[in-house]
Amino acid sequence: MNVLEIFRTGLEAVVTHRLRSALTVLGIMIGITAVILTVGLGEGAQQQVSSQISALGSNLLTVTPGSTTSSSGIRGGFGSASTLTVGDAAALTSGVVAPDINAVAPATTASESMVAGTANWTATVVGTNTSWLTVRGRSMTEGQFIAGHDLSTRADVVVLGATTAQELFGFRDPLGQTVNIAGQPMSIIGVLNTVGTSSSSSTSSNPDDQAVVPLTTASALLFGGSSRNSVSQILIQARSAGTLSAAYQEADAELLSLHGITSAASADFTITSEQQVLSTATSVDKTLTVLLGGVAGISLLVGGIGVMNIMLVSVTERIREIGLRKALGATPRVIRRQFLVEASVLGSVGGVLGAGLGLLGAAVLPHFISDKITISPVATVGAIVVAIGIGIAFGVYPAGRAARLAPIDALRSE
Amino acid sequence: MTTSDHTDHRSHGSHADTAEVWMENTGTYPLVRPPVIDADEVWKTYRNGSLEVDALRGVSFKIRSGEYVAVMGPSGSGKSTLMHILGCLDVPTSGTFHLAGEDVSTMSEEELAHVRNRRIGFVFQQFNLLASMPAWRNVELPLLYAGVDRPERKRRALEALDRVGLESRVDHRPGELSGGQQQRVAMARALVTDPDLILADEPTGNLDSVSANDVLGLLDELHRSGRTIVLITHEADVAQAAERTMRIRDGQILGEQLADSAAASR
Ligand SMILES: Nc1ncnc2c1ncn2[C@@H]1O[C@H](COP(=O)(O)OP(=O)(O)O)[C@@H](O)[C@H]1O
Ligand SMILES: [Mg+2]
Repeated sequence: MNVLEIFRTGLEAVVTHRLRSALTVLGIMIGITAVILTVGLGEGAQQQVSSQISALGSNLLTVTPGSTTSSSGIRGGFGSASTLTVGDAAALTSGVVAPDINAVAPATTASESMVAGTANWTATVVGTNTSWLTVRGRSMTEGQFIAGHDLSTRADVVVLGATTAQELFGFRDPLGQTVNIAGQPMSIIGVLNTVGTSSSSSTSSNPDDQAVVPLTTASALLFGGSSRNSVSQILIQARSAGTLSAAYQEADAELLSLHGITSAASADFTITSEQQVLSTATSVDKTLTVLLGGVAGISLLVGGIGVMNIMLVSVTERIREIGLRKALGATPRVIRRQFLVEASVLGSVGGVLGAGLGLLGAAVLPHFISDKITISPVATVGAIVVAIGIGIAFGVYPAGRAARLAPIDALRSE
Repeated sequence: MTTSDHTDHRSHGSHADTAEVWMENTGTYPLVRPPVIDADEVWKTYRNGSLEVDALRGVSFKIRSGEYVAVMGPSGSGKSTLMHILGCLDVPTSGTFHLAGEDVSTMSEEELAHVRNRRIGFVFQQFNLLASMPAWRNVELPLLYAGVDRPERKRRALEALDRVGLESRVDHRPGELSGGQQQRVAMARALVTDPDLILADEPTGNLDSVSANDVLGLLDELHRSGRTIVLITHEADVAQAAERTMRIRDGQILGEQLADSAAASR
């Protein structure tokens, strides 16, 4: 019996047992679709986090007070006056000591209440210098950012984030208006671009809900007190991603010497790069992907067990047919091949339909849910291979056993 | 694979004591032909857990080529068990069985499938047709496993159906046919490969007398055209159709007798 005849016989059986074939195909399909979508959701979340983090600012180093290097955890600076000063930031701008640093923005932040007319809102107020816009990788939707003379004159000016502006002024144009921050009237000179918020963002503060004021104004009028010269962080932008680690070393060495510390282990500051944040966030999302992949794997397994059931039942209920075919001269090999064709046809049809449905879902679903779905070729191919494999294994194994029965035992079975 | 190589098994082995000269295939040499069926002390024991049933208890007999033999006995006497062994559908627990001179116990699964396909035509009491297929597709099945190509299969299937008088029912599924018609489809399937040996297990058992006579008439016709026929039945008047009747009871052969007509014609 040639290959074509075996193929034809197998196909014919698939068509003859329509309902059973449809159920098998459905089982395989659902398993594959589930894998594609769940893994896609996980990978989509991972990509989203990466793009959000890169939107925070490129080639960015953040110096924060306190140390995380000692075994006692964070120490120094915390709870008392910050160990970082405006002077530290100024020293880092020197092209001589830090040639790989492009821009430096000291920043001091506090949560303050704001009042504009009848509107009341509380947001993060950032006191910083002119470099902040560059270092943070932001731009203006309208107006100007803080300029050098605003710093030197301690001008009462403020730049608002889009959300903050909206909360205070609704749809009115905030430009030129006045807002009271901690009782201090400040005039609005600009509005920042929108970054977009996300629940999975690694930063707790919303980048669109903040008010940026000159550092000098912030220390003198808003935060005041003993910590006039201290800042809560220094943001450093390296010249390029390639010089990030050089910039890191320059900043580290300069700050250690400024603070009179000889051993790096006793540093009273910590420098982190966005790269670290990125890799932490990414590893969190990798865990998520693995978890989702596990869920998908289980649904594939459940689908597979369904397929297995149907194939087992179908072989069992066709043992008489197998017996008859053997009585009429079919060899065990021919029987096995017929079932192999059947199982492969069902598996591939289910595989193709499942992949199609998964890809369709990945294209359509993001319009209804906020999450992004990224197709993972590995997961897609893997799911198809596993599903078809299950179909074939559990179709061919019992058929092989039935093919080995004495024809009369098969023929006699009920 | 083709179906034109019927003779390859016939030249094997020889049982000189019972051999006869085979007259049909007179090539250059007259062939010495062993009995088609040679059973020697065949036992068949079914085991279901601790329960053992001796369905056949030392059965020995021979059937020569071209004979029409009835195996008659009451229900449960071991007739079907015997037919399954004769048809290579099952193997004896002990004893030997030669089919056309070849010891069946030495054959591989593949060879047995080949023998069933080329040399034997089965007619079962329960018809054993595939319900999903029209009559002609059921009839062509043995040819499929013989490697005959599609147009030739169809041609021969239609020819066989024509021979059993079902030319107008070729596209009907078994469910759309009467019992008698279904058994005729099964007969067409048994003769489509042109086998030497036809094994019919109570072929009339589920049929009305008119259909039963049709089936017996067909068997008679096949016998006249030179086939060896083993007809299994529990009815004496059905056994009358054969030349020789072997009586079987409790798994043993009690004796045999020649039919009057057969005796007269010898
Ligand atoms: N598969 C089987 N398992 C156990 N016992 C069986 C089996 N087939 C037949 N028998 C027993 O063997 C005996 C002969 O059965 P069978 O050959 O079918 O008789 P008959 O065809 O003459 O009615 C009976 O007693 C029957 O119960
Ligand atoms: Mg019986």
